[in-house]
Amino acid sequence: MRWFRAVVSLLIAAAVFWGLDNRQGMVPPLGKLVNPFAGFWQNGTRDDTPPPALVVPGLRDEVRVAWDGRHVPHIFARNDHDLYMAQGYISARLRLWQMEFQLLYSAGRVSEVVGPMGLEQDRYNRRFGMVWAAENSLRKLREDEKTREAMEAYLAGVNAYIRSLGPKDLPVEYKILDYRPEPWTDLKCALLLKTMAYMLTAYHRDALLTVMRDALGEAIAEALFPYDAPLVDPVIPRGTAWAFTPVPLPAKAPETETKAGASADEISPSGDPGAFPPIGTQPGPGIGSNNWAVSGRLTKSGFPILCNDMHLGLTLPAIWYEVQLTSPGLNVRGVSFPGAPLVVAGYNKDVAWGYTNGTDDVLDWYAVKFKDGTRGEYLYDGGWRKTSVREETIKIRGGQTVVDKVIYTHHGPVVRLPGEPGALNIPVDCALRWLGHDASNEFLALAGLNRAKNYDDYLKAVESWDCPAQNIVFADREGTIALWHQGRYPLRRKGQGRFILDGSNPADDWLGWVPRAHNPFLKNPGRGFVSSANQPATDSRYPYYLGADYGPYERGARINEILAAAKGVTPADMIRMQRDVLDIRARAVLPRLLGLIRPATMTDAETKSLDELRAWNFEARAASVAPTVFDAFWDELNALTWRDEKKGDMKVMPTPSSEVMVDLIVNRPGSEYFDDKATEARETLADIASKAFRTTVSGLEKEWGPCGPAWRWGRTKGTRIGHLARVPGLGREKLEADGSGHTINAIGVSWAPSWRMVVELGPELKAWGIFPGGQSGNPGSKYYDDMVDDWLAGKPDVLVFLDSPDAPDPAIVARTTLRGGK
Amino acid sequence: MIAVLVCLLVMLALQLLTPFWWWVMIVPFAYGAAAARSGWKALRTGFLAAGLLWLGASAYLFLTGSRTIAERMAAMFGLGSSWLMVLATGLVAGLAAAFSAYAGYAVRALFKGTPRKGAAS
Repeated sequence: MRWFRAVVSLLIAAAVFWGLDNRQGMVPPLGKLVNPFAGFWQNGTRDDTPPPALVVPGLRDEVRVAWDGRHVPHIFARNDHDLYMAQGYISARLRLWQMEFQLLYSAGRVSEVVGPMGLEQDRYNRRFGMVWAAENSLRKLREDEKTREAMEAYLAGVNAYIRSLGPKDLPVEYKILDYRPEPWTDLKCALLLKTMAYMLTAYHRDALLTVMRDALGEAIAEALFPYDAPLVDPVIPRGTAWAFTPVPLPAKAPETETKAGASADEISPSGDPGAFPPIGTQPGPGIGSNNWAVSGRLTKSGFPILCNDMHLGLTLPAIWYEVQLTSPGLNVRGVSFPGAPLVVAGYNKDVAWGYTNGTDDVLDWYAVKFKDGTRGEYLYDGGWRKTSVREETIKIRGGQTVVDKVIYTHHGPVVRLPGEPGALNIPVDCALRWLGHDASNEFLALAGLNRAKNYDDYLKAVESWDCPAQNIVFADREGTIALWHQGRYPLRRKGQGRFILDGSNPADDWLGWVPRAHNPFLKNPGRGFVSSANQPATDSRYPYYLGADYGPYERGARINEILAAAKGVTPADMIRMQRDVLDIRARAVLPRLLGLIRPATMTDAETKSLDELRAWNFEARAASVAPTVFDAFWDELNALTWRDEKKGDMKVMPTPSSEVMVDLIVNRPGSEYFDDKATEARETLADIASKAFRTTVSGLEKEWGPCGPAWRWGRTKGTRIGHLARVPGLGREKLEADGSGHTINAIGVSWAPSWRMVVELGPELKAWGIFPGGQSGNPGSKYYDDMVDDWLAGKPDVLVFLDSPDAPDPAIVARTTLRGGK
Repeated sequence: MIAVLVCLLVMLALQLLTPFWWWVMIVPFAYGAAAARSGWKALRTGFLAAGLLWLGASAYLFLTGSRTIAERMAAMFGLGSSWLMVLATGLVAGLAAAFSAYAGYAVRALFKGTPRKGAAS
């Protein structure tokens, strides 16, 4: 009996011990986590007050840091090594867990932390060649002395911080997920660049459009997905003449059979639809951002104003942090990515710069004909070429290690093999040619921009900007405004790479590069402003083909409409403009559509909804009902118009972009696309609009209850800022915000302005900015999400810019001295 | 009660010096094995000593800057109030200690009928 009692009680105690010491599935190790002496209780606000002194072994000299009331570090170093080392140390202090986790994800190593549930995502990121891409760039980053030194100092700073951490000091996510940080490397810095390249250039629908073109024919494909779409006001104004002689292009490739890997059956998901890659991991279309610069001729002060808001996925910790970096000859302020040195977007006393995504096509698929099932050789230029294999070892926490042998052709990796489930846009047995795989050194561009004093410096700096292609807006205090649509663009025939290409035909390869000097740009234009919002860069007079899947027209057109009428502009006007929510799509189509909806027998909700739309001023306000109705109505109208066009092998009908639809409604209401092919009768736009309206209203009633305040846009849109690793409780839910994806203030559901900035240059530098989150990555800190409410309201903060670490600025709340030793 | 206090202070010292949470199992086990007069007393002493230690420490931290993180952890675990996080913390330690103190006593009981003289209780 005693033995029995002893054994049983020991076993129970051992089980309790084991249970509390280890993570159970995704349930954290409770004993470790709730331990008040080393668990989450230690992640309170104590770091919110930075200590007066810190020891950072490796610093050559003293570094002074002044912290303003928004927890922004203003770093003053006496040499560049110390500057970037301090930046590394401080960014790790603010955001270590996020820095590491987002790159584990990109590297296809998330299974090491989350276990088997991460495997499919990891395999996908490995197949995509993310680390291969980073390795290619790393060689180039190391070759350049400037970027090598910045990276090495930065990673030394991060590692000094990691070494200083005891178990109780770890960011709380390490405690929840039960693992420890590993040393930082320069490969991680390179991978961060590739992660941005992926996020901004990896949206593609070549496979879907190929199937569509084969089913519907080239004429319809061109009509619905035009190269030069109606209504679009390009970044470079229409009619601009180009002063260079374009590089001649070879004639069209001989026709070959390109359907080898692209037949619809093989593209369709087999087994588990959407499991490879998981839903939500593909970048979306129309990834948006706005930027513009207004010449001093149009401003009240007579000096230029530069504005930028970059739209990215909403996460906590926020994607950006603010920093000021100062060393001899350098004083720059702006936002930076946690995980790499330098300021990415910002300003100094002489210049300001910012970005929107170029949205060009730098990702193509090549159908590969393999000799046999081993995929050891593939057809190219009439002969057989050898493939190479890159072994990817995926370690899985609590599971067996998986080795994935990825096949590479000279185009790039084969992402998906026959029989593997996958998203519709990942073609089978096709090799991926992605510009992101190529070596590039965007850090060099950033280093140049950080120190730029004038237009020439800017021009020289952006020479090194390859991928992701960006509209890099610029202004300097001398009064120059400019915008280069900057990136490295493959030389291709018109439309080449829009559809799946023939991997065996050398004529389908990228044919060279567009010379840098031929990239589209605008400098001091007569209209007094430059702007961009992901719309096509040029009209069809531009002699090179850069892509065809640009963002929809609305934001760009609205920005230009406002700026064309601008006079005596102040920064306050620009801040107001960044929160402009006028929906010009609704303004264009509603007058016609409202006349078509026949109010014969209407339900109460239909009458009310129609009244809301009729009374609407087209502003997408959180408190209004009309934007909810219009948004759902628009989707339904598109579904009814396009769904039935599907034919042949098509699994889905890709939705044409909004400018095509607006053009049809406004200019071609008799179009036969409005006919529902499934019915005998011939439907008109009026039939479709009435039907869509009915369905919309009944759908909204079902989801949100009776028509009324419950349908307000802020609620039905339901903006949320999720935690990066989706840990419940660490994000912000149910935020009610003005705006929509196609208004200037583009707050969507989980995609929104990630950094808003307004800078007025001149003798007195003035700047405002805000981002959806806070400086700290610690969910226990008051600085974790303290900017969210003002960001939602569109009220940016005044940005503090210091000339010296001791400047008596009332906004400075703490000062820290970093030293190499005691 | 003295045993509770002694256990608590020993655990407090060890927890301040090291990052390990499991002192709230080891110390009560040792107490149960070395000094407890009965299984029930071992269990009760372990529960109170460890439970009060973690309850007190977490309450202190809750009041001095860890309220926000407690709120977020409470949300993560689906607890309604952040104060419940303090209670849960005490409970985790108390229960773990109780099981292990009892196990300590049960193991000791294999070798001896009664605790040695003069042991505190």
